[in-house]
Amino acid sequence: MPGVILAVDDSASMRQMVRFTLESAGYKVVQAADGVEALEFAKQNPADLVLTDVNMPRMDGISLVRELRALDNYKFVPVLVLTTESGNDTKQRGKEAGATGWIVKPFNPEQLLATIARVL
Amino acid sequence: MAASQDNSTAALALSEEAFSPELQLANLLGLCEAQMESALQESDRAVDTLIKAFGGLVEVTRSLSTMAANLPPEVKAGIAQDLDRQLATMSQQMGTAVMAFQFYDKLTQRLGHVRYSLSTLALFACDRTQMNQPEQWTRLLNTMRRLYRTEEERQVFSAIMDGVASDSAAATPSDGESAPAAGEVELF
Repeated sequence: MPGVILAVDDSASMRQMVRFTLESAGYKVVQAADGVEALEFAKQNPADLVLTDVNMPRMDGISLVRELRALDNYKFVPVLVLTTESGNDTKQRGKEAGATGWIVKPFNPEQLLATIARVL
Repeated sequence: MAASQDNSTAALALSEEAFSPELQLANLLGLCEAQMESALQESDRAVDTLIKAFGGLVEVTRSLSTMAANLPPEVKAGIAQDLDRQLATMSQQMGTAVMAFQFYDKLTQRLGHVRYSLSTLALFACDRTQMNQPEQWTRLLNTMRRLYRTEEERQVFSAIMDGVASDSAAATPSDGESAPAAGEVELF
């Protein structure tokens, strides 16, 4: 059953593309423009999945994953990283921080929905 | 000087006292950066409008799907197949548009890296001592290499460092061919 997805990206157009895609499948989408904003939301509210970019001002995606894993209610929430970065080093850092998976932009809407359905 | 005089002609009159190759190079790099920023701001506004329009189309499609699903069976009977096919086509085309829009985001990111490279180089060029030290050039190149995050940027950087001509280094995948790693999914 579709749930709430926290979409984190500093690009407004990317957030829109993610929102269009997820809402078409019935998910409720909450948006945040960087890690700080996302963390503020997460401290007060639950989400069923987090989808985050890596390179963002104030707090990057890898730090966000680390901070989320330190919160009791986000310890086991799937966190997918959606980024243009495909380098193994960054991917490894994401994995160590506690990310559930890694998707390289540009995403294919059907593939994104299939991946989300798989980890939820 | 007449007010209507061409500014570009006036700007070319450099005094010999103020002239230094380093300053001229830094100014020209600054010019490239400013032109890029100006063009990006203009296209950002256009893309923003486009995305809003696209958002409207998404809403309309969603409403049509809901309406189609709620049609009385007797009305739907004759058109169900065709209606479903049309809605599926619309949804497929929107998926294609969602992918295409993301390339603009990627373009903005890559141009941001180029802008940063230009401003770093402009600062570097102002210092004649640095310019004459190979180890400082190595540091600069390493800074720039770290800046490039996508596979395509790294490939172009490596090709240029290997002495490949810039037009060959910038060669993009042919039509229909995806960028390396794009869309790749890995679950940990």
